[in-house]
Amino acid sequence: MQKKPRVLELSKTLTAGGFHTGPDYILFDNGTEAWALSRKCTHLGCTINYHEKDDLLECPCHQSRFSTKGLVLQGPAEKTLVRYKVEKLKDGGGYIVTI
Amino acid sequence: MKVIWSKFLEIKWGNYSLLALYISVLSGVVVAWQYDPATPFYSVSTIDLLIPFGEYFRSLHFYSSQFFFLFCICHVIATFEQAQQYSRKQWIMLTATLPVTLLILFTGYILRGDSTGFSAGMIAEAILLDLPLIGQPINNLLFSITDNGMKRIYVNHIVGFCLLWGWLAWSHVKKYRVSFNNHIALTISILLFSVFVAAPFEPDHLGVTYISGPWFLVGLQELLRYFSPMVAGVIVPSTLLIAIALLQKRNRYYRCLLIFIGCWLFIYAILTLIGFLR
Ligand code: FES
Repeated sequence: MQKKPRVLELSKTLTAGGFHTGPDYILFDNGTEAWALSRKCTHLGCTINYHEKDDLLECPCHQSRFSTKGLVLQGPAEKTLVRYKVEKLKDGGGYIVTI
Repeated sequence: MKVIWSKFLEIKWGNYSLLALYISVLSGVVVAWQYDPATPFYSVSTIDLLIPFGEYFRSLHFYSSQFFFLFCICHVIATFEQAQQYSRKQWIMLTATLPVTLLILFTGYILRGDSTGFSAGMIAEAILLDLPLIGQPINNLLFSITDNGMKRIYVNHIVGFCLLWGWLAWSHVKKYRVSFNNHIALTISILLFSVFVAAPFEPDHLGVTYISGPWFLVGLQELLRYFSPMVAGVIVPSTLLIAIALLQKRNRYYRCLLIFIGCWLFIYAILTLIGFLR
């Protein structure tokens, strides 16, 4: 069954290069563009984390790795992470993420 | 070695299993009074932190269930010779209680809703959905976490799988009655063990790089790293269950089956060890 999209509002504004981890998404903002990735690993669905030091996302179940753009860097996952639509509000008003 | 073996055979593992089962069911009722499948993580945190003796009863439920499973395995090994008198149907039904028991343990593990429990649930769902045609309906019946949260798992944990277990085991267990009075030492040991050892509960830590499933699935988690969900999650475990279900001395492939099971368990133990060392 197709799930009804959820619209989430984030009132804080990230600094350039910042990120925000929600329960099921991670939001990135590089200053010019903001995007969000699903935290559901494309291998078998575990919840992935962003590792700031290495600037990549890693799944704790079988250590698949993804770039901050969601591309697979290391298997066993084969598919890129799902990307969510993000709207950056004007004047530091925050973000709207549609999941 | 012979002495240890004969001592092992003397222990009434069947009685121990039933006793652990009684404690598991009774403590499970107490935990269920406070558990809400709509908010699993919050619920379990509340049980541990706020409900008087909540943490104790959750631990008692967790460990008595683990003991039940371990005692069942010992019981099967210790009574294997006597069990040869069972018909093929009886043997298949009784050995099928082992995977059903594992399912009950596993769903209990998922119901915690913590980081490892939730991930384990997602993996189980992904494995089932990898099965062509029947995967989706089986997932709808057993797990369906993505669509229904913990609702179905909860019902299956407390009712569905227990009924299935009862149906499979009833003709066997109905003959036995075990009283707490005759096993005071074991009863007290289980009750006390849970005072000192808390049931696991792992909140989501953002920097975590490795989480492992329940001990009996660590080998499978390792296998999923190298093989497709269909091979690692369905075919490999099924071969063991089928081999156990056919393992009767009257089967002319008895020796082959025994060797196969031995090799399977040996490799699985190595995989489990690798998983634990990560
Ligand atoms: S579930 Fe993420 S790597 Fe396997």
